[in-house]
Amino acid sequence: MAWLKNFREPKQTRWWIVTLSLGLMMGFAIYFSLTIFSQTSLRLDEAQSLFQTNRDVLGILNLVAQDVHVPGYHILLHFWQLLFGNDIFAARMMSLVFFVALIPAVYALASYTFDRRVGLFAALLVTLSPFMDWYGSEARMYTMLALFTVLHQLAFMKLFKEGKSVHWVWFTLTAIAGMYTHYFFAFVILTEIFFYVFSRKEFAAPKAFRKFLISGAIVAAAIAPWIIYVVQLGTASNTQPSLNEPTSVDLFNTYAQFIFGFQVDGLNTIIVSLWPIVVLLAFFALQANRKTTREVIFFVMAAIVPVIGAFIISVTVRPFFQSRYLIVALPALMIFVAWVLSIYPTKVRRVLQTAFVIVMAGLFAVQAINPNTPVKEDYRDAVGYLSEKSTSQDVVVLTAPFTIYPTEYYYTGTAKVTTQPIWNRFEQGAVPAFNRDKLAEEVKQNTESYQTAWLMVSYDQGYNEDVRDYYDNNFERTSSKEFSKDLWVYSYKIRYDPALTIAD
Amino acid sequence: MEFLKTTRASRILLITNLLLSVTYFGYFTFMSPVGNPVLFGLLVVAGVYHLWQVLSYIHSVWPRKRHREFDATFTPAVGVFITVCGEPNDIVEETVIAAKAMDYPEFNIYILNDGFVANRDNWKEAEVLAKKHGIKCITRKTPGGAKAGNINHALSKTNEDFTVIFDADHVPKPHFLKAMMGYFVDERVAFVQSPQYYKNHDENMVTGGSWEQQALFFGAIMKGKDTADTAFMCGTNMILRRTAVIEAGGMCETSIAEDFLTSLLIHEKKWKSVYVDEVLAEGLAPEDFLSYYKQQFRWARGSLEVIFKYNPLFRRGLTMSQRLQYLSSAGFYLSGLIVLLNATLPLIYFFAGLEPLAIGTMSLALIFLPYMFVVLYTIQVTSNFSYTFRALSFSLSSFPIHCKAVWQILTGKKSGFVVTSKKKVSGNFGYLVTPHLVYIGLVIFGVLIGLLREGLTAAMVANIAWAVIYIAIFAPFISAAFEKTSNDAEVDKDEIAIAPVKKEARG
Repeated sequence: MAWLKNFREPKQTRWWIVTLSLGLMMGFAIYFSLTIFSQTSLRLDEAQSLFQTNRDVLGILNLVAQDVHVPGYHILLHFWQLLFGNDIFAARMMSLVFFVALIPAVYALASYTFDRRVGLFAALLVTLSPFMDWYGSEARMYTMLALFTVLHQLAFMKLFKEGKSVHWVWFTLTAIAGMYTHYFFAFVILTEIFFYVFSRKEFAAPKAFRKFLISGAIVAAAIAPWIIYVVQLGTASNTQPSLNEPTSVDLFNTYAQFIFGFQVDGLNTIIVSLWPIVVLLAFFALQANRKTTREVIFFVMAAIVPVIGAFIISVTVRPFFQSRYLIVALPALMIFVAWVLSIYPTKVRRVLQTAFVIVMAGLFAVQAINPNTPVKEDYRDAVGYLSEKSTSQDVVVLTAPFTIYPTEYYYTGTAKVTTQPIWNRFEQGAVPAFNRDKLAEEVKQNTESYQTAWLMVSYDQGYNEDVRDYYDNNFERTSSKEFSKDLWVYSYKIRYDPALTIAD
Repeated sequence: MEFLKTTRASRILLITNLLLSVTYFGYFTFMSPVGNPVLFGLLVVAGVYHLWQVLSYIHSVWPRKRHREFDATFTPAVGVFITVCGEPNDIVEETVIAAKAMDYPEFNIYILNDGFVANRDNWKEAEVLAKKHGIKCITRKTPGGAKAGNINHALSKTNEDFTVIFDADHVPKPHFLKAMMGYFVDERVAFVQSPQYYKNHDENMVTGGSWEQQALFFGAIMKGKDTADTAFMCGTNMILRRTAVIEAGGMCETSIAEDFLTSLLIHEKKWKSVYVDEVLAEGLAPEDFLSYYKQQFRWARGSLEVIFKYNPLFRRGLTMSQRLQYLSSAGFYLSGLIVLLNATLPLIYFFAGLEPLAIGTMSLALIFLPYMFVVLYTIQVTSNFSYTFRALSFSLSSFPIHCKAVWQILTGKKSGFVVTSKKKVSGNFGYLVTPHLVYIGLVIFGVLIGLLREGLTAAMVANIAWAVIYIAIFAPFISAAFEKTSNDAEVDKDEIAIAPVKKEARG
């Protein structure tokens, strides 16, 4: 960790204190991941990751191209699994590695831009963020995306303040890595374009405009083969999950989730309704000679542009507003918050920093402990229940169909498993659209030769209620049980004639 | 001086500010469902006021080029007036010594002694001081017109074409005259004003708060006004052209904000003014809460009189820029009513469950937050990051002072000119923040009522947050009121009340 000594201005924080603090933060993240978050049930998205990466590289590319993602994470996870095994725990550990690396990366970015004190507090906020900790143990690409975002922004800041050739290489490579991690990395680049337009005269890098164009061309050339492949395949648009058009509540929920995590509706309402307090924090920031420098503006933009950009496009073009996709804005938000708090008068700063940490830590605990935390998807218990209760004379029906992924991971029962709408993913490719007129026919096809239908309802794609109502109106419901928020298992008696036995 | 290094805000930032302000106002006025009609109406009024002030500020700081003629060789004789009204001798003497040390070919110093007409016990000290330093002392024997009357009286006794005005505590720098007089080479320049800097701004919360408010005014605002040909006199650290003042009828004696009103009268005679953005004299901020309170009240009362009695919109001779600038400067003191209204809205919700708008609080936030942040950022950029939370606190927390000034104007009560004390006044001034303390009590009580009625709903939480913001804003002001001050001067009980003054109070 000697490299830490090279970062700017001691600001009374010695390098060994920095090293020790970062070590403790990383230890905190690892400990809670191993003991809590990685112990949770496999979730739908994770099941998809395992399904997609459990094949050769060409197969992965083909599957991911039909999905809404880019293949960088999946390829990496594929090789990770070859080394460490293909269970969910091993897959989650890869995300944890990126999360743990993110902590010193955020420190590096914030301390380079401002000072060590801001760097340490920003790193602490990232460590304590219940949102980051959640995705730090999820077998998806989000922590990888956050890490590449921070590394890329560090290169961008170095271009802004120093502008050495090596920074252009770093900048370009991290941009390519980011673009191959998630499409939303484009918002990081968009932010930089805005910032460049706004601050072009202050860039230290000579001939910055021309070099940005060259770098952009290289990145575009690097991502072009993938885009061409996806377009030629032409199936990506069929596999997008159904998302609602976001509202202003979703926008504020995103920031609330970044800082305070995923909370139940009642608590979340209180959190987002406290938005006027942000005005007060802005008032407190009115301090003589504490300038809002260009660097501060950059972090404000980096925290806002992706979220507002995704919001505007989701409202005007097509909904794809998901807070986890917007993780690219989280490190910048934390760095900005750390900077704002650092400029307050000492007493106010200490009180607010302490309050911030206590509230975040408290809500971190609530998110971890509360079984009703919205993002918890307890497929493990639900499918365990199905495995235990169903028999070979029963049928398990899943809606939405893609919940087949986590189900098959845990399922050990003998009943047939099918989906509603009926989906053969190995032959049909994308999930077929729901057709109300075909519902009766499909239900009959699924259930006619079985005694009991076990209907597992989760991940509403706009028709879960139709399916459940159909079963309720046509069969006798014999049980129902909720395993996590909006994850229900119902059982229905299909036939009243006794089951055939050998003796018959 | 950092506050004078104002940054030219980019036009993009100002236009963004303008668009967001209009969008915010338009959104809640025309696109949001109305809640309680009365509250909605009041909110619209407040919105119009905010929009007006923001637009005026943008107009003030809008980047404009203005060429000023300046000739360093223009050095006519100058009369230096040091206005005195019972201030401590040591303070006046420091100003006299500094004035004598000014580097300029020809000038005469006069102490304008109003101690006699104001019944000050030490009124003779000024004459002794003048004799000691070999300067003239003009002691008025006939009262009238307060500080303006004192200056007019002195103008009648002197004959220099140009006159410098210094308050007793404003100590000029040696190059004061050389830095200012050259602008009078333009024969249509009536007066040149320089900043009113408080050298004691670090002394306590009151001086700090006073100064931080001044910094915005003498930084971004006055520099902007200068480019719009609307810089006005600020009572001290200024040079006047005798002919211009006489053409305007002399310093206006009918207002307690004589400098502001006289500027208006001079501008409507098509004279020009200049603001020099360099600290050329250093003075003293009010050092105790009572003095601050009285100073603010005098400014509020005097400025509001301009709106109600000399409304710039209807004065002939002013340019449109000047009309807007004078109106917005005087209108600043109406902000007390708006603060009172805005701070009361959460209370009304707590006690009655009434809201002006029937929209989700998040929708409002989506429009309001960008608007507010850009407004704050614009102020910070244009003031070169000299504006502070304490200045904001003092401005907004002065709402009882401003409301009282409005009330006195509307009811026609008279108020006298009370000179800001140059010595700390000791005493407990907690009673001056009674409205703020009552507000806190009402918030606590109201929150309990609201929680019992509907529990912790989104609307309750948002209103609690707003109430907390106002309490946090009032906190430095309340704290300043209770700040311990040394026993330098006794409280004049007659002055504390700031009651309508029956006699001519020239303190």
